[in-house]
Amino acid sequence: MTTAAIDPSWAWKPFRPSKQQPWNRARAAHLLRRAGFGATSQELDAAVEQDPDEIVGALVSPNLDAKFEQESEAFAATILASGNPKQLSAWWSYVMLRTPHPLLEKTTLFWHGHFATSAAKVEDSTTMYNQNRLFRQFALGDFGKLTHAISRDPAMLIYLDSVTNRKAHPNENFAREVMELFCLGEGNYSEKDIQELARCFTGWEIRRGKFRFNRFQHDTETKSILGRSGEMPEGESIDIVLDQPAAPQFIVRKLLRYFMFDEPFASDELVEPLANELREHQWDISHVVGRILTSQLFYSEHVIGRKVRSPVDLVIGMLRTLEGSTNSYQLGDDLNQLGQGLFYPPNVKGWDGGRAWINSSTLLGRANVIGRIVRDEKTRFGGGKLDEYFTRLDAESASAIVDKLVELILAVEPAQAVKGQLVEVINAEGDRSDRIAAAIHALSTIPEFQIM
Amino acid sequence: MRSNRRDFLKTTLGTSAVVSLGATVPGFLRHAAAASTNEKETVLVVVQMSGGNDGLNTVIPYSDPAYRSSRPKLAIPESDVLKIDDALGFHPAARGLADLLEDDRLAIVQGVGYENPNRSHFESMDIWHTCQRKTDTRTTGWLGRYLDLSQAENSGASSAFHLGHEKQPFALTAEDVRVPSIDSLDGFRLNDGGDENVRSTISKLAATTAKESDSILGFLQSTTTVALSASKRVEEASRDYKTPVNYPESDLATKLKTVAQLIDAGLGTRVYYVTLDGFDTHSQQPAAHAVLLGQLGDAVSSFLNDVKHHGHDDRVTVLAFSEFGRRVKENASDGTDHGAAAPAFLAGSKVRAGLIGDHPSLTDLEDGDLKFHTDFRQVYATVLESWLGWSSKSVLGGIHKPVDALEA
Repeated sequence: MTTAAIDPSWAWKPFRPSKQQPWNRARAAHLLRRAGFGATSQELDAAVEQDPDEIVGALVSPNLDAKFEQESEAFAATILASGNPKQLSAWWSYVMLRTPHPLLEKTTLFWHGHFATSAAKVEDSTTMYNQNRLFRQFALGDFGKLTHAISRDPAMLIYLDSVTNRKAHPNENFAREVMELFCLGEGNYSEKDIQELARCFTGWEIRRGKFRFNRFQHDTETKSILGRSGEMPEGESIDIVLDQPAAPQFIVRKLLRYFMFDEPFASDELVEPLANELREHQWDISHVVGRILTSQLFYSEHVIGRKVRSPVDLVIGMLRTLEGSTNSYQLGDDLNQLGQGLFYPPNVKGWDGGRAWINSSTLLGRANVIGRIVRDEKTRFGGGKLDEYFTRLDAESASAIVDKLVELILAVEPAQAVKGQLVEVINAEGDRSDRIAAAIHALSTIPEFQIM
Repeated sequence: MRSNRRDFLKTTLGTSAVVSLGATVPGFLRHAAAASTNEKETVLVVVQMSGGNDGLNTVIPYSDPAYRSSRPKLAIPESDVLKIDDALGFHPAARGLADLLEDDRLAIVQGVGYENPNRSHFESMDIWHTCQRKTDTRTTGWLGRYLDLSQAENSGASSAFHLGHEKQPFALTAEDVRVPSIDSLDGFRLNDGGDENVRSTISKLAATTAKESDSILGFLQSTTTVALSASKRVEEASRDYKTPVNYPESDLATKLKTVAQLIDAGLGTRVYYVTLDGFDTHSQQPAAHAVLLGQLGDAVSSFLNDVKHHGHDDRVTVLAFSEFGRRVKENASDGTDHGAAAPAFLAGSKVRAGLIGDHPSLTDLEDGDLKFHTDFRQVYATVLESWLGWSSKSVLGGIHKPVDALEA
C-alpha cells in the first residue's frame, strides 16, 4: 500500500481556508498537535484569530526566549551534576512541557530518533546532553551540516563503536548506518560502498571525550564510493553520500511519516517535489517542515487522525493542553515505561513509531500512566485542581467538561455513547476534581485517545 | 507429528463437542476440557538473539587453522573451548548450552542463513520475521500467519505471548490475532486508581467503541480488548508459582521464568517470544559476547529444568536464532562486523541432540562471510511440522524441507 491515490500537485498546494474548510479551533488544534504537543484552550482562542501560514512561519523560525533558555540550562546543570544519565529524561520532559518553541523541540526529538544514540552505551550525561544541544541547534537548520557534525559527535562515535578506528581493519558500524539509517536507506548502496566509506573514517577518534583526527591511522589511499573515486579527506565522503538523489527522498519520507501519517508508505511521486525543494534549499529542514505544515494534504483526511501518538505526544500532550505541571522525574520514567525512554532509544534505528507503539502492555501502561498523573498530588492544572481549571474555562457542567476534553485532546470525535459514559463518571458521587480525573483516566483507554 | 493433539481430542471430550454443545455444557466441564487440552499442547519458545550473534565464536571450529588466522585477537584458545568433538566446541561462557547438549537436550543446526544475505540488522531481521524480501509486501510475520491459520484449532485464550519491554517482534504480527506483549507480570494489569467506577467504565468503553477493522482505530480497538482480557487472565493465572530452580540474575532469565509460570498456569498458549539484545559486537567483543552467551545458556537451561520439574518438559521446545552471524575476519576494534550464516539452536527434551549439518567452511567464503547451507525456513518448517503440528507450506509460502532436529 502506498499513497498512490494522492495527487502530488494537489497535496503540496498551500492550504487556504475556505467555506468548506474554515480555519477553526479543530484545524488549529490539529496544527498545534502535530507541530508541537497540543494547544491549550487559550492558545486555540489566539490561533483562530491568526493566519495559519503566519503561525507556521513563527514555529519554523523561533526567536529563542532568553528567560526560558536560562531556566532550561539551570535545570540541566542540576541534572548533569548528578552524573546520572537516566535523569536527563526529566530535564527533556520538562523542556517539552514548558518550551515556548514546541516545533523546535518536536523536531529535536525527531533527530534524536533519526541519529539514535543511547545513553545505555554512552554512559555519560554530558556527552549525551551535548549531542542533544547539537540536535536542537540544527533541528530546523541545515541537514548536511548536522550530518557532518554528528559524524564527529562523541556520543555517536562511542555508540557506533568508532572511538578507535584504525586503517588496518576499519570498523564498518558507523559507515553502514550513515548510508542505511542516516542518509540513504537500505538498498541504495552496496556492501562495497560501506567498506570503502569505513576506510574514510579511519583515524577518526574520540580522546578524552573529544573528537580527534589521528592522521597516523587514517587510510590515505584512493577510495571508491557510490561511483566516485578519490582520497576523500575531511568528510568529503559524507558530501558524496548527501549528493545521492536518494538522500533528500529518504529524509523527506521520514519527515512525512513523523509530521503527517504513519501509514501508508509515501509514494515516490508524493515525496519527489519536496525532495527537490530540500535540495534546492540547501538541505534547509525548516523549509520542508514549513511546506508540510502549510499544505492542503496536511489538513486532509489522509492526515488528520492518521498518526498513532507516541508516548511523548500522549503524556506531554495531555499535560500541555490542560496547562498541567507535574513531577518531571516521574514523567521521564513514565515515558520510558511506555517505550520512549528519552536518551535511551531501543537501537540505532530509533523508534519505529506508528503501530509499533501499541501492544497490550503499552496500552495498559498508557492508561495507568495517565491515571497516575491526573491523580498525583503534585500535578496541577493551570496551577490548581481540575474542577477549578474547568471552571476557569467556563466548562461547568459535566457535558461541557467532556466537550472541552474532546476538543483539546482528541483529533477524532468519539462515539456519542463514549461521551455519555464520561459524563456519568463525572456526575458520580465524590469530589468533583477526582471525578474529572477519573473521566480523563477512562478517556485515556479509548482508541481515539491513542491517535492524533 | 508428535504432538498428537488430534488423537488426544478423539479420546477425550473434544473441543468440537464442547463448541457444538455450547452453553448447555456446564461451565466446570467446559473448563476441564479446555484445561486438559492445554496440558497436552506443545509449546514453542523463541529466543531471539538480537544484533547478530558471532556464531563462529559460539560454536567454534577450534582445530581449523583458518579460524586462528582470521581471528588473531578474538580466537578462543583451544584449551578454553568446551569440546563437542575433535573439531568443534562451545565458547567457554556457553556452559549452559554445553550442559544441555551433554544431557541430550540441545540440537545445533549449523550454517543457517538465506540466499543473497542482507547485512542490515533491520532488513535481515525482517527477512527472518516475515520470510519475505523487501520487494514483497510484508504485512505479517511467520508466527502471525501460523496464529491466524490455527486460530480455530487453538483452545487457548491467547495463542501467543511476547515478553519484553521492546516493541513487539514483526514475527508475531497477524492479520486477525493480536498477540499480547507483557513487560512484567506486575505491570500487566489495569490500575483503576482505587476507583471501581473507572474500571467498569473502561470495560464498557472497550465494548462500545467498535470501529471498522482495517483502520488504525480498528487495530487499537482489538488490541485494547485483548489487553484488558489478557491482563485479567494473566493476573489470575500467575499467583502462587513456586520453583526450586535458581534462575540466574538476568533479564532473559526473568522473562523465561515468567514463561515457565505461564506454561504451568495452563493458558493454552502455544508460542512465547523473548529477545536477548546486545549481540552487535563491533568493538570490545570478548567481554560482551561472553556475558551474552553465559546469559543465554544459563537462562535457557534453568528454564528447561524448571519446566521439567513441573512436568512440562515433553511439550516445550526452545528455538534460538540471530538475524545473521558475523564476519570471519575480526576488525581493529577487537570486534567483528556484520556477517551471514550462523548456527541456530533447538533445545528441549524432544530434540535430536547433537550437531546437524557441517560447520561452514572458513576458506570458501562469500564476501568474507560464511556460506549458509540450511535455509532458516527449513528450521521454521521443522518446528511448524514436527512440533506445532502445522503445514509449513501455508505459513512459509513455499516448501522447505524440515531438518532432522526433533524426534518424530
